[in-house]
Amino acid sequence: MVITFTVLLILSSLLLILLVLLHKGRGGGLSDMFGGGVSSGLGGSSVAERNLDRITVGTALIWTACIIALGLLLKAGS
Amino acid sequence: MLGAFANAFRTPDLRRKLLFVMLIVVIFRFGSQVPAPGVNVGNVQACFAQIENDGLYGLINLFSGGALLQLTVFALGIMPYITASIILQLLVVVIPRLEALKKEGQAGQTKITQYTRYLTLALAVLQATGIVALARSRQLLQGCPDPLLYNEDSLTTMVVMVITMTAGTAVIMWLGELITDRGIGNGMSILIFTQVVATFPSALWQVKVSRGWWVFALVMAIGLVLVAAVIFMEQGQRRIPVQYARRMVGRKMFGGSSTYIPLKVNQAGIIPVIFASSLLYLPAMAVQFAGQSRSAWADFLNTYLVSGDHPLYMAVYFGLIIFFTYFYVAITFNPQEVADNMKKYGGFIPGIRAGKPTEEYLNYVLSRITLPGSLYLGLISLVPLVALVLVNANQNFPFGGTSILIMVGVALDTVKQIESQLQQRNYEGFLR
Repeated sequence: MVITFTVLLILSSLLLILLVLLHKGRGGGLSDMFGGGVSSGLGGSSVAERNLDRITVGTALIWTACIIALGLLLKAGS
Repeated sequence: MLGAFANAFRTPDLRRKLLFVMLIVVIFRFGSQVPAPGVNVGNVQACFAQIENDGLYGLINLFSGGALLQLTVFALGIMPYITASIILQLLVVVIPRLEALKKEGQAGQTKITQYTRYLTLALAVLQATGIVALARSRQLLQGCPDPLLYNEDSLTTMVVMVITMTAGTAVIMWLGELITDRGIGNGMSILIFTQVVATFPSALWQVKVSRGWWVFALVMAIGLVLVAAVIFMEQGQRRIPVQYARRMVGRKMFGGSSTYIPLKVNQAGIIPVIFASSLLYLPAMAVQFAGQSRSAWADFLNTYLVSGDHPLYMAVYFGLIIFFTYFYVAITFNPQEVADNMKKYGGFIPGIRAGKPTEEYLNYVLSRITLPGSLYLGLISLVPLVALVLVNANQNFPFGGTSILIMVGVALDTVKQIESQLQQRNYEGFLR
C-alpha cells in the first residue's frame, strides 16, 4: 500500500514538474514583482495551453491525494 | 472607500478576477499546512512550540509563512524563485549574452523568464535536499532531540520528500503565474504578501501574551505610524516636466502637450531589502551547517553576523541596503535610454538641451533623489533590530521593516491595479 502510493507520488511529482515547465512563463521576473506598473497580458490562451492547464490540474489533484494518503498511512503505521 | 469595494465586486470581470486570486491564495495556504510525507507531525509541532521565539529563523520563516520549519509540502515557498530571480538579475549585468537578450525586448524577456524557471527548480532541489538532510540529522530545529521523520535512515523517505518539495515549488510557481495571468496584480508578490500576512496575527499575539495589553497597544500605534510613513515615502515622486514640440504631419497636429517623468523617491521598491537580507542569511546558514563543531570562523560569524543586535551586523545591513538601492536603480532606470527616446519624439525638459545634457540632468536628479530613498529603506529595515535591543522583543517583531515594506508595497500596487480596472467603468476609486 505504502509502496504503491510512494511510486505514484514520485511519478506524479516528476510529471507535475515537467508540466509546469511546459507552461509559458508569465512571471515577468523580479523587476515586475514589486511596483512594475500595469502590464496585463490580454489575449486569451490557446487551445493547447488550455488543455495543458487541464492536465496540470488533474496531475496536481492526484499528487495531493497521494500526499494525503501517504501521510495518513504513515501516521497509522507508526 | 467602501463604495469602491462594492463597485469592484459589482463589476463582473473584476469580481471574477478577485475571486480567482482568493481561490489561489486559499490553495496556497492549504498547501503550506499539509506536511510532506514522512514527517512526524506530532514531534515537529512539539519542537516548533519550543523554538518559535528564536530569532535565527526570522527572514526565512517570514517568507515561507512558517511552512519551512514545519516541513510542509510548500516548505520552500517562493524563496527559490526569488533567489533565482536575483541571480539572473545579477547575471544580466555580467554576461553579455543575457544582456543582449534583455535588450531584445519581449521575446528576450520571455527567454530570461524561462531560464529563471529552470534555475528555480534546480535551486529547489538543492534547498530541499539541504533541509531534509538537516531534518534527518535533527539539526533543523536546534535544541530539539526528538526525531522529525518517521524513518530517518531510509533513503526512500528522503528521496520522496525532496521530490515532493520540488514539485511543491513548481506548483507555487505555477500558482503565481496563474495569478499574474488571470487574476490581478503580480502573482509572486501576492504570494509573498500572503505568507507575510499569515505570520502577522500570531506574531502580534505573541507580543500581547508575553508583554500584556499596554505594550501591545504601543506596538500597534508604532506600527500604524510606520505604515503611514512608508506609504508617504512610497508615493513620493519628483516630477520632471517634459514639453513635447508641436509638429504637423500631413494635415494633422501632433504633440504640443506637456507631461512629466515621475522619478520616485524610492525607485527600487523593496528589492534592495530582499537582496540584503538574503545575503545576510548566508552566514547564518553557514553557522548552522557547521553545527556542533564550532571552529574559530564559525564563532566569529556567530558573534558578529548572525544575531541581529550587534552593531556590526546593523552597519553591514544598512550599508548593503544603500548599495543595492543604487545598484538596482542603475539597472532599472537608464537615463541615456530615456533621453534618447525623448529626443526621438521631440520632447525636451524646459531649459535643458536634448541629448547629452538631458541625460546628465536626469542622472544628476536621480542620484540625488535616491539618497534619501536609500536612507529611508535602510532606516525602516533597522526598526526591528533596534526594537530588539530596546524592548528586548524577538526578531519576529511584527512590524519588522521587511514585512512592513512588503505589505505596504504589494498592497499599494495591487490596489492601484484594481483601481485602473475599475476606472474603465466609473471614476470613483480607492485612492484620491
